[in-house]
Amino acid sequence: MSEIIKTRNLMKIYGEQKSVDHLNITVNQGEIYGFLGRNGAGKTTTIRMLLGLIKPTFGQVEIFGENLFNNQKSILRRIGSIVEVPGFYENLTARENLLINAKILGVHKKNTIEEALEIVDLHNETKKLVGKYSLGMKQRLGIARALLHNPELLILDEPTNGLDPIGIKEIRSLILSLAKDRNITIFVSSHILSEIEQLATHMGIIHEGRLLEEIAFDKLRERNRNYLEFQVSDDNKAIMLLESQFGISDYEVHAEGNIRVYSHLGKQGRLNKAFVENGIEVLKINISEEGLEDYFTKLVGGGAIG
Amino acid sequence: MASLLFTELLKLKRSSMFLLSIAGAAVAPLVVVVATYVNEPSTPFKELFYNVNLYTVLIIGAPLYGVVTTYLFNREYVENTIKNILTIPVSRVSFIMSKTLLLFMWIMMLTMIAWFLTLFLGLLTQFDGLDISLLVESFKEFSIGGVLLFILSTPIILVTLVMKNYVPTIIFTVVITLINVMGGSSEHRALFPWAAAGDIANHTLPSTYPPEYSYTAIIVTALTGFIALIVYFKKADIH
Repeated sequence: MSEIIKTRNLMKIYGEQKSVDHLNITVNQGEIYGFLGRNGAGKTTTIRMLLGLIKPTFGQVEIFGENLFNNQKSILRRIGSIVEVPGFYENLTARENLLINAKILGVHKKNTIEEALEIVDLHNETKKLVGKYSLGMKQRLGIARALLHNPELLILDEPTNGLDPIGIKEIRSLILSLAKDRNITIFVSSHILSEIEQLATHMGIIHEGRLLEEIAFDKLRERNRNYLEFQVSDDNKAIMLLESQFGISDYEVHAEGNIRVYSHLGKQGRLNKAFVENGIEVLKINISEEGLEDYFTKLVGGGAIG
Repeated sequence: MASLLFTELLKLKRSSMFLLSIAGAAVAPLVVVVATYVNEPSTPFKELFYNVNLYTVLIIGAPLYGVVTTYLFNREYVENTIKNILTIPVSRVSFIMSKTLLLFMWIMMLTMIAWFLTLFLGLLTQFDGLDISLLVESFKEFSIGGVLLFILSTPIILVTLVMKNYVPTIIFTVVITLINVMGGSSEHRALFPWAAAGDIANHTLPSTYPPEYSYTAIIVTALTGFIALIVYFKKADIH
């Protein structure tokens, strides 16, 4: 799987503040990469550097395997993007706004604009000026604009920010369908964990400019599964009992007789009783209920997200 | 560049600034012709052209074209469209050049409107002394005034790009106008680029200094502004 985005020790310093600090991220082809962080964590600064809008103080950005700053024009032509709230010429219609991009991009194919508007369901808003659009419509139009030249990579900065629940759902469905139907690699930032959780296949967590973790969601879910943890006097005997009497196979044995059981949640009483009746001493029972939100909160050092 | 220029023109569709600038350009011809008609109806047509061009270049030009300049460049920041344009991608130099080209067209259009309105209103109020040579000469003088003010717009573009706001540009152009007015009777006015532009356009350069001094002041100001704005914009972070 080829690397689409790779940053090496990317830094941006404003005065004495490190807005982005030695950031190393890797986004592979076909991934929906969720870039998660609280407001002010450095997400937008990173995205601006990925798009060449601001220059890093230090470090490298490689996109499609090429150095961004040496090949900016050819690389950006393969990217569609929305940075923060998408801006439009409010005295123009959606079609006229897209025509500006199409002209500059040299997209001459007939119906390109129509097709882009159809994807985001704005093809019927032919006469309405963009100044009259709701935020949700502008976000959708921003995505249409980003798709105009069939990009291989979409970079979206908080695309659901400020939208109502229906708008959020629409944008989410749209992003998912773009990744699935068009095989576009998507880099999407958000400060809302649940949003990233519902969208992304991979996640990078940024806090105070530093990347705290980069992980595939499958692995993360695996790692953060709820479980029952028993500390027992004889783990071999306990395992045999779990397998034979309860048919449990989804468990892990850790050091010092700690057994984590990932099934039979809520049935710790029955399991405990069985252990005791079979002469296995139960030293401790722990019920893990850590969700992704707890995990994230713990990772960024407490406090609310956002 | 042709595509960029097309898009710049498209951006002006339904723009109220376009009509407002035309109204602004019409002020000098209207005021001069009406005031002259009321006070001194025997004034020759030549004086009308001279006065309108004088007021256009020295008084109205700097603030009016300054507002146009700010609108063209600053709206990309205000409407948050600059991030889209630069990531399409459009090179930063091409972006500046296409806007500057449109600014030239806009300033020349407003200059021509001022000239045409002077002609039209002067004919309407039946001033004497209009002939082909006056038409050609006045057209040339208006054009020179417009071109010089366009050339001198580079420092105004720089202020717009750096400050990203209408207010500093308006203050800057008002200061230019104030110096033009206050220095109107000064024998050293030819050293101030914007005042020199008015004198060059109207053939009224004072003899205090050789004309080369005025041309040099204009070229140095314009070139310094142009180089500074290109260097600044190429390096500027876009937030």
